Amino acid sequence: MTKNKKKIPPIVQLNFSKGDLIIKEGDYGMSIYDIISGKVGIFVESGGMEVKVATLGPGRTVGEMAFLTGNTRPRLASARALEDCCLEVWHPDMLLNTYKQMPGILRLIAGQALKLIVRMNKMVVELSLAEGQSNSSQTQELSNQLEHKRKFFRKKVSIECVFRPVSSSKDLKLLGRIRDIGREGLQMDVKTSGLLHYTLAPGDELFISTYLMPDQKVHMTAKIVWLEKEETKDTICLGMAFILIDSGDRQRLGFFLMP
Amino acid sequence: MTVNSQVLNYIVSEESFPDKAVIIKEGSIGDWIYVILEGCVKIKKQTFRGMLTIDTLSEGDFVGEMAMLKQSNSIRTASAVADGQVLVGILDTVRLVQEWETQPPRIKKLISNLIQNLDESTKKAADMVVTPKQPWTS
Repeated sequence: MTKNKKKIPPIVQLNFSKGDLIIKEGDYGMSIYDIISGKVGIFVESGGMEVKVATLGPGRTVGEMAFLTGNTRPRLASARALEDCCLEVWHPDMLLNTYKQMPGILRLIAGQALKLIVRMNKMVVELSLAEGQSNSSQTQELSNQLEHKRKFFRKKVSIECVFRPVSSSKDLKLLGRIRDIGREGLQMDVKTSGLLHYTLAPGDELFISTYLMPDQKVHMTAKIVWLEKEETKDTICLGMAFILIDSGDRQRLGFFLMP
Repeated sequence: MTVNSQVLNYIVSEESFPDKAVIIKEGSIGDWIYVILEGCVKIKKQTFRGMLTIDTLSEGDFVGEMAMLKQSNSIRTASAVADGQVLVGILDTVRLVQEWETQPPRIKKLISNLIQNLDESTKKAADMVVTPKQPWTS
């Protein structure tokens, strides 16, 4: 497969409902969110509690700490919508060049602010927990009422993939194009002329491999849930549900699906 | 931590302070940005229980960088006090601010946000330290 020149994903706006988790501490994520409307709380987890360390409103950004660490570390804090909010999502590649070209001293100042924030947040967390605050605005137990997992978004894509029926020979390579992908499954187009003598039917299981990002091959096993063929065209559209993805590939998929 | 050579370039003057000397006073107006060349500096905030040390900075760390942000109106948000003998470099603020102002808006927004967050979490930490415990929680 040829490597495409890396394109910077466009800026998108996403809406979150009150209580939604936008960023999860410990996850690997790289998006930066610019708050357009609504309030976002920043929380640090400690001993099964979430301690609120900041409340941010329109005009402020969320997620810049990961960018400033070069996306080499997991998220340092969680961000949760405190009310319905609209956020603009920036891909870090958009800012990377300007950041690199910035005078070194400005990068050092930013780096120091980052270091000190982590220290201050730690202090706030320790103080909150030491006080054993039942003050719910400051700390809240990680109860089931709150969403723990961040939302993943189904993505419209156009990615080439190679697939073969699970029962076929390992050397077989049929070509398809993934049109849409989410955590649970994908939709792909297959040219009937490229199917050789194979036929596809709902319930069939396929091995699929593709590159979601350059240099990152991902393998998935999925089952055909539905199948549509347009009379006039040479294309079959397959709706598929994942049945097996190993943990590393699942992580890569999750990463790819993040807004 | 040693002082980065890129930072040394910006130093226009050096100043030394004896132990406990106030380098920056909270609430005063000023936009000098300093870099610590030798020694340690305590960052303190005024509370109703007196001055509270929030953090201690050392060689290579910047002091007063909040002044870079327009939102600060050049009002110092915390005091910086020498912890032992200290040597600081005074940075060419005009050059620094000029370079900062010409950065593309998104990156500026991102870093301003970070510095603002630092200011807010420092305030929050200070407030929490001095808030007396309620008798029924202790």
